[in-house]
Amino acid sequence: MLFFVVFAPLKGVLKRMSFVVKIKTPNMTTILKLDDLHTYFHVNGEDLKAVRGVSFMIGRGETLGLVGESGCGKTVTALSLMKLVPPPGRVEEGEVLLQNRDAGERNLLLLSEKEMRAVRGKEMAMIFQEPMTSLNPVFTVGDQVMEAILVHEPVGKREARSRTIELLRAVNIPDPETRIKDYPHQLSGGQRQRVMIAMALSCRPEVLIADEPTTALDVTVQARILRLIARLRDENEMAVLLVTHDLGVVAQETDRVAVMYLGRIVETASTEELFARPLHPYTRALLESVPRLGEDKERLKTIRGNVPGLSHIPSGCSFHPRCPIAEEICQREEPLSREVSSGHWVECHLCKND
Amino acid sequence: MKINQNSGYWITAWREVLRRPRGVITLSVLLLYLAVAVWGYTGLGTPDWKTEDFQRAYQSPSWQHWFGTDIYGRDVFAKTIYGTRVAITVALIAAVLAGIIGLVLGLLAGYFGGWVDDIITWLYSTLQSIPYILLILAFAFVLQDKEFSLFGFEFRIRGIRAVYLALGLTGWVGLCRLIRGEVIKHRDRDYVVSSLSQGAGGLRIIFRHILPNIFHLVIITFSLSFIGYIHAEVILSFLGLGVKNVPSWGVMIDDAKLELFRGVWWQLAAATAAIFFISLTLHIFGDTLRDALDPRLRGRKGQR
Repeated sequence: MLFFVVFAPLKGVLKRMSFVVKIKTPNMTTILKLDDLHTYFHVNGEDLKAVRGVSFMIGRGETLGLVGESGCGKTVTALSLMKLVPPPGRVEEGEVLLQNRDAGERNLLLLSEKEMRAVRGKEMAMIFQEPMTSLNPVFTVGDQVMEAILVHEPVGKREARSRTIELLRAVNIPDPETRIKDYPHQLSGGQRQRVMIAMALSCRPEVLIADEPTTALDVTVQARILRLIARLRDENEMAVLLVTHDLGVVAQETDRVAVMYLGRIVETASTEELFARPLHPYTRALLESVPRLGEDKERLKTIRGNVPGLSHIPSGCSFHPRCPIAEEICQREEPLSREVSSGHWVECHLCKND
Repeated sequence: MKINQNSGYWITAWREVLRRPRGVITLSVLLLYLAVAVWGYTGLGTPDWKTEDFQRAYQSPSWQHWFGTDIYGRDVFAKTIYGTRVAITVALIAAVLAGIIGLVLGLLAGYFGGWVDDIITWLYSTLQSIPYILLILAFAFVLQDKEFSLFGFEFRIRGIRAVYLALGLTGWVGLCRLIRGEVIKHRDRDYVVSSLSQGAGGLRIIFRHILPNIFHLVIITFSLSFIGYIHAEVILSFLGLGVKNVPSWGVMIDDAKLELFRGVWWQLAAATAAIFFISLTLHIFGDTLRDALDPRLRGRKGQR
C-alpha cells in the first residue's frame, strides 16, 4: 500500500517526462499533442478499451500517418481528438493539447461542449472516409460549404458565397460558380471528397484530421486528392493527421508515422526511417505483407492469427500471441516505449537498437 | 426534354405531383372540398340548412332539393355543405396540432436519446395503450365546457373545440414514433457526424440537417392522418360528443339510423358519399405524395 502511495505519483511524473523527451523534434512547432489518451466503450457492464494510452504530437506543416489494421482504434483516436466519440464510448483519461492562436495551449478534453463547437471546424477540422454519405443529400454543396463558414465567422451570405466559390476553386472543382448549385448526387466521388475538403478548410483550421480520405475512391482519384491535401497543407501551414491502412499512401504522403496495434502506438518514426528500419515485429510484419512489383513470390507473408477482440486483450505486450519472436517476458510485462534512435520510438521488449 | 436539375427538392416534388394524372385529379378534389369548407365559412350564398318546414319532411331528392330533405324538412344538401366545413376544420386543426406535437417530440426523442427519449417513449406508450376512441371520448368529456385563462386571455372550450383539441392531443403518437425512428436512423449518418465535426450544435443538426431529410414523412403522415381525423369527428358527432345543434356528417348518420327503416336513404347516402370521396382522395393523394417526395421512389415513375 505504502509502496503504491509513494510510487504511483512518481510513475505519472516519469510518464510525463518520457513524453517531454518524445516531443523534442527540431525545427517544428508542435500544434497538437496527445498524451496518454484512453477511450473506452462501456458495453454490457464491460469496458472495451478501444484506445489504451495513445500519445503523439504533430507539428505545423507536418503530416503524421496513423496506420494499423481495421479495428485497431485509428478512427476512435481521431474522433476522440474532436470529442465526437459516439456513445457508449467515452474518453476516460489523457490530454489533447491544442495550440490556439490567441488562448495558447488548451486541453480540449476539459472544454465545454459549447467551447468545443467553436474548436470543431475552426481550429481542427476533419474529413471522412465516405464522401458518398458525408454530405447532406438534400442541400446543394454550395449551401453546405457556406454553412461551414457561417457557423464560425460573422460574415454575410454574399461574402460566404464568394468565399465558397474560392474554396471550391482551390480544391480544383471546375466551374465552381455553377457547381455550387449542384446536389451531392450530381458529383462524382472524387468531387464530393473535394467538397468535403473545401468544407473542412473553410475556416482555415490549424489541424486537419483526414480519416481514410481516399479509401472509398479509385486509385487515380486517390493520388490527386492526396496531392491536393499536401498542397493545401503547405499553403496553410496546417498539421495533418492522416489516418489510413494503406502503406503506399503512408510512404508517399507522410513525414512521420505512428503504427497502431490494439489501441496502442507500438512504433513511431520518421517515414524514411520506418520503411528503412522497421523495428517492431508488428511493423515488420505489416511491411512484409505488402506485395511488391518485380518480386517473385509464391505467397505473401501474412501475420498469423487474428486481431483479438477488445474484450480479450492479451496480457503483457498485446501483440505477443501473434509475434514471431515473442519470449516469456512479452507475456508477462507490458513493454514501455523506448527511443532507440532520435525520433524513433518503439514499444517492444526485444527490439534492440541495432 | 428540358432537364431542370437544380430547381430544388420541393419544387421538383411539386412538379412530380402535377405530372401525374392522379396527382392533379386528387389535388383538384381536395381543393374542391377545401373551397366548400371556406365557402361554408363565408356564408355567401350558401344553401340554408336552418329553415324548418314540416310540410316538406322526408322529400326524396329532386331538382329543388338535390339530396332530399330530413325530418324537419331541412335541405340535406345544405347540411352536407355545412358538414364539410365542420369536418375539414376539425381535421385540419387536429392534424396541425398533432403534427407539431408529434414532430417536435419525435425529433427530440430521436436525437437526444437517453432520459429525454425515455420520457417521451413512456408518454406515447401510455397514450397508445388506451383504446383510441375511449381516449378521445375521455378527452372530449374532460375538455368540454372548460374555462381557463392563459396569459390573460380567457378561453372557453365549447363543443367543437373540445373535439379538435382531443384529437390533436392524442393523435400525435404515430407521427412521433415514425419521426423518432427516422431520426435515430439519421443521427449516426456520416453527414451528421461530418457537420458535427464542422462545429454545428444539436438544434442546428436537428432542424437544419435532419428535418429536411425526413420532412416528406411529415407531409405524407399529415395527409393520411387527415382521413383519421375526419373519421374521428364523424364518430364523435355520431356518439353525440362532437358538434351540437349544427349539421355534421356524423350527426347526419346518427339521424339516418332512425330513418332507414322508413326507406329514407338519402341523408345517409349524402354523408357517406361525402366521407367516401374525401377518404379515397386523401389516400390516393397521400400515395402520390409519397411517390413524389421520396427520392428513392422518384426514379421509378415510368413503371406505373
